[in-house]
Amino acid sequence: MMQEKKDNRYYGGFGGQYVSESLMNVLNELEAAFEDAIKDPEFIKQYQYYLREYVGRETPLYYARNLSEKYGAKIYLKREDLNHTGAHKINNVIGQILLAKRMGKTKVIAETGAGQHGVATATGAALFNMECTVYMGAEDIERQKLNVFRMEMLGATVTPVTTGSATLKDATNEAIRTWAERAEDTFYIIGSAVGPHPYPKMVKEFQRIISTEAKRQILEKEGRLPDAVAACVGGGSNSIGMFADFIDEPSVRLIGVEAGGLGIETGMHASAMALGKIGTLHGMKTYLLQDDSGNIQLAHSISAGLDYPGVGPEHAYLRDSGRAEYVFVTDAEAMDALMELCREEGIIPAIESAHALAHVLKMAKEMDKDKIIIMCLSGRGDKDVHTVQKYLDGEETNK
Amino acid sequence: MMNRIEEKMAALKQCGKKAFITYMTAGLPDLEKTKELVFAQEQAGIDVIELGIPFSDPVADGPVIQNASYESIQNGTTLVKVFSLMQEIRKSGSNVPIVFMMYYNTVFHYGIKDFAEQCASCGVDGLIIPDLPYEEQQELQEALNEKEGAPILIQLVSPVSKQRIPMILEHARGFVYCVSQMGVTGGSAQFHKNIREYLSEVKKAANIPVMMGFGIRTADDVKPLSDIIDGAVVGSHFINLLRKSNYDSGEVQKYIKEFKMQLNME
Repeated sequence: MMQEKKDNRYYGGFGGQYVSESLMNVLNELEAAFEDAIKDPEFIKQYQYYLREYVGRETPLYYARNLSEKYGAKIYLKREDLNHTGAHKINNVIGQILLAKRMGKTKVIAETGAGQHGVATATGAALFNMECTVYMGAEDIERQKLNVFRMEMLGATVTPVTTGSATLKDATNEAIRTWAERAEDTFYIIGSAVGPHPYPKMVKEFQRIISTEAKRQILEKEGRLPDAVAACVGGGSNSIGMFADFIDEPSVRLIGVEAGGLGIETGMHASAMALGKIGTLHGMKTYLLQDDSGNIQLAHSISAGLDYPGVGPEHAYLRDSGRAEYVFVTDAEAMDALMELCREEGIIPAIESAHALAHVLKMAKEMDKDKIIIMCLSGRGDKDVHTVQKYLDGEETNK
Repeated sequence: MMNRIEEKMAALKQCGKKAFITYMTAGLPDLEKTKELVFAQEQAGIDVIELGIPFSDPVADGPVIQNASYESIQNGTTLVKVFSLMQEIRKSGSNVPIVFMMYYNTVFHYGIKDFAEQCASCGVDGLIIPDLPYEEQQELQEALNEKEGAPILIQLVSPVSKQRIPMILEHARGFVYCVSQMGVTGGSAQFHKNIREYLSEVKKAANIPVMMGFGIRTADDVKPLSDIIDGAVVGSHFINLLRKSNYDSGEVQKYIKEFKMQLNME
């Protein structure tokens, strides 16, 4: 059905560069700079230095004994929640901002939904003394006031986006527009494994550290590879990082968990792959939520970080090639899992990560006790405490 | 049958005139009005009409066209309905060249082959797809090539296209659309700092007419460049004018006639 493109800008039929002509040379320059940087031992050394000394890596691969004993299989948690700023997002920001500096850019821009990527970018910009503007939907600004204030404390300017649905998708549109205008001195730090080539590849390389560490750690602890790795998927950055070093290990199942919102049948969800409609948005060809006339639909999830109508192109390819499996869990299932992790292990996870956990718990029940699952605990739940409270009080949180 | 854009360009060239092109979003305020405005513009002597197919995420557009698209979608405008409108327009004997300005997802979602066929049968003469750069055009171009009477895929160049210009122009037809500034539609008439150098480069490489768009409001805006360009495109300003005049055909005709006259004044 889809034409297979033998083209390094594509993953099978997904990816590409669906951007304006004004950005093509910008992307070509970016690709050349990125390919050059990742082959440069000095650049890698610098990146690893900041990950170690500033972010606090490596993160533990924690054996969740209580959950494992209760549910069946051995569950290991890759503790990305213990990173500086509280999630995996900082890994990618450090990589991209070092690249921006190397390219001589003095300003960075970013889009953000819940504010996590915005906070990570503002953090990196403060560290490296770059001017930072974060685009955020006016709706999201209202919902995530504390993160807006955090970004401002870090010296970033938060620009409200009021067009369209005034959420992440529109903030991304606005970031792309600004970038097309100011690319000469401005670097666009995309937070997820999405966007035009080379962004999905770049984000994967800067998140690969998750699986590189996890693989080494599991071999040390168990002397063998896991049977499965799992992660939540919005745009797909923590999941592609969790998958990266296991993709070529055929014995390891790769499982991505999308946000099923109120249920796929309700239309109120954020599972771009559940219905399998392909299209182009934000520079890439991939699976998208869209209506009958080809307009992009709003995603719905209790988790602002998964509330995106598309998915990274490599995930679309991993799905179609059968290498990875993609499932979804609903808001309610995710919230149950979140509370379960609080009570069993004393860890408050981000609602995003709780989606992955909900599915891992289902899987663990069906597996033998000696089977091993690694789950990426992509972020901590401090930012979500208010949402959890509202949810438990029965208030509307899924807007 | 010769393509209406190429026919028009040839005619303009013969009498040494420059082209004036307007953009309006289809379905703003409704499709019936859009039809009226097409006829009114044709009467006033417009050379090419760009008809915007509204899309939910118009990343190449500034606030004016974004809002126009949003409203048009709210009014229920879809590609399917604009195809019917085109059929009505052509049935009424209108022969003005019409270009669809749209985003690639709308084409892809409709189905590329079906889209090419439908365009051909409804009398769509050209396509401007700002998020479909040269590297991504192959699939659509092949479908267009296979269909007799299919529209021309208009090529866009930007002030930073530079070494890409020859590649983009190699098979370009109709006219080449030069974006006057970085960023999105509807800026002020602050053109790119190297505008003259850039347009000259395109003009030298092109064997088709060179049009300039983005940020243009009056013929005066392009006067300093009139020795290089073959025509001008007005979009956001035209939408503002439509809104301000409450979509009055008379006002529109007055603006077009004036612009055309000034554009062609020596």
